[in-house]
Amino acid sequence: MAMRAAILRHIRIPVRSYALEFKPRELNLSGGSLMRFMSSHDEHLTKEEVVERVLSVVKSFPKVDPSAVTTDVHFQKDLGLDSLDNVEIVMALEEEFKLEIPDLEADKIDSTGLAIEYIYNHPMAG
Amino acid sequence: MAFTLRSVKVPPNSASLEEARSRVFGFFKAACRSIPNIMQIYNLDDVVTTAQLRSAITSEFRKNSHVTNPKVIDMLLFKGMEELGNITEHAKQRHHIIGQYVVGRQGLVQDLGTKDKGMSDFLKSFYRSNYF
Repeated sequence: MAMRAAILRHIRIPVRSYALEFKPRELNLSGGSLMRFMSSHDEHLTKEEVVERVLSVVKSFPKVDPSAVTTDVHFQKDLGLDSLDNVEIVMALEEEFKLEIPDLEADKIDSTGLAIEYIYNHPMAG
Repeated sequence: MAFTLRSVKVPPNSASLEEARSRVFGFFKAACRSIPNIMQIYNLDDVVTTAQLRSAITSEFRKNSHVTNPKVIDMLLFKGMEELGNITEHAKQRHHIIGQYVVGRQGLVQDLGTKDKGMSDFLKSFYRSNYF
């Protein structure tokens, strides 16, 4: 017990009290630049990376014409796919980004724009 | 009794075509999500990719896309779930998976063609199948 306390004392990280010196409105830095030293959750994907990977998944779908794929193309109306292909594309995106999209959200993903938006806003997108 | 991993999620009757449709999509997603597991069980990593298995599953679904009776759809879903359960609990073997889902119909039977030289087209189609 005492040894545990001794060890903890050695590896304790000094608490920075910089927050007390700033006025509340200045804390809200844009871009979420919190200083969380031991968090692994801050490596979010950039928007360009999300866009590029989503488009590459859609383009590699065998029924899709790669030149018709832009950042806001509707799967069923513009690319001529059917609802089963839509679900398959959503599953391919789930696999690419290691997510699990619940049914309610997955039904709404009808176009590349919505897919990009959903994945970008998902905290667990990898 | 047939599946240990997957409980029967299909109650006897879907109320409407819409309900059957949503069940079909739910089952499709469950099948796609179990693909990595299947590839790991049967060591399919150097034979086929995940995307190819997914298209194989899609084409199996598409074979029955013309069905409109919800009870028939329920029955097909039941059979599909049983099949998926069998595959995921390793009740099948690698050659089953490869033969049924990876290789198409033409790949299984190698047609040498040397003994067909003098044969008429009628006989060739007759030997291939009943319906032509």
